[in-house]
Amino acid sequence: MKQRIKISDVQLGYKKSGQIVQVLKDLNLAFDASQLVGIVGLNGVGKSTLLKSIAGLLPLLKGEILIDGIAVNDDAYEVLAKKVAVVLTEKFGGFNLTVIDVVQAGMMPYTNALNQLNAEQMKVVEEAIKLCGLQHHQHRFLEELSDGYFQRTVIAKALAQQTDVILLDEPTAFLDYAAKHDLLIMLKRLCEEAQKCILISSHDLDLLLKYCHKLLVITEDDICCIPVEEAKTNEAFKQIAKGYL
Amino acid sequence: MSNAAKFILLFLLFCIGIYMSLFFGGSESLNFSDLSADFIFYQIRLPKTITAILAGAALSVSGLILQVIFRNPLAGPYVLGISSGASLAVALSVMAGSGLHFLPGFFWAKAYTVLSSIVGSFAMTILILSIAVRVKKNVILLLIGLMISQICGALQTVIEYFAEPESLKNFVLWSMGSMSTTNLQDIPLLAGSTLIVLGLLLFFIKPLNAFLLGQLYAQNLGVSVKQKRFWLILISSSLTGIITAYCGPIAFVGIAVPILSRMLFQVSKQQVHLAACLFLGPILLLFADAFAHSLIKHMALPINMITTFIGAPLVIYLMFKNKQW
Repeated sequence: MKQRIKISDVQLGYKKSGQIVQVLKDLNLAFDASQLVGIVGLNGVGKSTLLKSIAGLLPLLKGEILIDGIAVNDDAYEVLAKKVAVVLTEKFGGFNLTVIDVVQAGMMPYTNALNQLNAEQMKVVEEAIKLCGLQHHQHRFLEELSDGYFQRTVIAKALAQQTDVILLDEPTAFLDYAAKHDLLIMLKRLCEEAQKCILISSHDLDLLLKYCHKLLVITEDDICCIPVEEAKTNEAFKQIAKGYL
Repeated sequence: MSNAAKFILLFLLFCIGIYMSLFFGGSESLNFSDLSADFIFYQIRLPKTITAILAGAALSVSGLILQVIFRNPLAGPYVLGISSGASLAVALSVMAGSGLHFLPGFFWAKAYTVLSSIVGSFAMTILILSIAVRVKKNVILLLIGLMISQICGALQTVIEYFAEPESLKNFVLWSMGSMSTTNLQDIPLLAGSTLIVLGLLLFFIKPLNAFLLGQLYAQNLGVSVKQKRFWLILISSSLTGIITAYCGPIAFVGIAVPILSRMLFQVSKQQVHLAACLFLGPILLLFADAFAHSLIKHMALPINMITTFIGAPLVIYLMFKNKQW
């Protein structure tokens, strides 16, 4: 199985008013193609920091991350844009941005300097819009969308980016019940059919248990990657679920 | 109406504006039979018209860039105090420069003023940007910008207090903002520098569009955010700096024109708005200038009065329309 993400000896954190806040340390992980990996952990444990760091949006304090063999660092933005797409929790809008504008932005790593899309690229955008069920909302302004449809729009953008790796930070948060399942089913299919590697953080543990191949369980003092079948017997996972599952 | 039709309309208005500025500016329409009319046309109205076109284009593009970078539709070089920073720098450099006679010739003296103005506006933009990352609400940033421009204004008053009477008069006239302070000799430097800086923007269309999604998404889309942001800030403050050096601080054009452009063209593509600003800005200033010259016979009103009457209500309207501030 082709390895998509390799994390060696990594220490993660961010700077807050000049001071370095260390979030996760001694990370040694690897994720393969065709894997849908759920990231679970309590609030503030570092799920977002991990995802942003893998995408190169936060500098590493130590260590190295490789995506398809390419080191994630400041010089590699342009290459990385074709390797890894993110769905973050940050909101944006205004400036006449519509759904289709955002999905088209996903094509930006492939367009010319004037950011024009050719017919083939338009097709990719259309496909992404269809996959996320946004056909009837293409021309709506972002600020008119419900949180759920905004979420779908950003997911469609990530799909349009056509990357081998997709990182999603709590994408299920605002979706309705059926849409959550639709999303996970779609992601699983993408993984299996297109050999993608998808990491998704979520607090919807039952969803992750149902659809993911693996779980990355993050607690304050440990981080482990387990096959989803072992989750129910895993101490760290049980600690997070607190007996409710 | 299609976007192409809108652009044709803008172009027509642009031509009407030029025609008015060339042939109806000042007190009387021109009679080309005598020599003074020739002088008025070439030394006053032609440079004034060119200046208004360049200033309108440069200030509105400068405002557009700021609004995108700050992701704040209420940003602009005047309301954020960047114009004040530029004029303070000009005041300082003129004061310091009055003792220095090492700058030979007209061109270098002007270039020196322009450069100080650019430095002033760049420093102010960096200051505002460093404040902006700590401020969550757009309106707070606006208030901080206003306070900073008050501080710059106060400092400027101190400088004026010590200035020579003759240079003081020129300086005060300049700081009121005007399209009529340039003559034909000024045009090569003014037009050359403005057009070069505007031309650089062709390389930044993708980053401008990407910045709309926020810095993190922009970076994930392959834009080296820090580098592009630096250049865009440099371009924006150069445009404000160049124009402020010649025309003084011009109010509200930089904030109002991009807002008008987004109301007129309901798209998010920044290349469309850049093009629209190149027409809308000059139209606004050409008409404002014609209006300033024709409202009261034999007297020109300050152009800032008119741009404020257009710009300030727009800002208020936008605050009411968007509840998210």
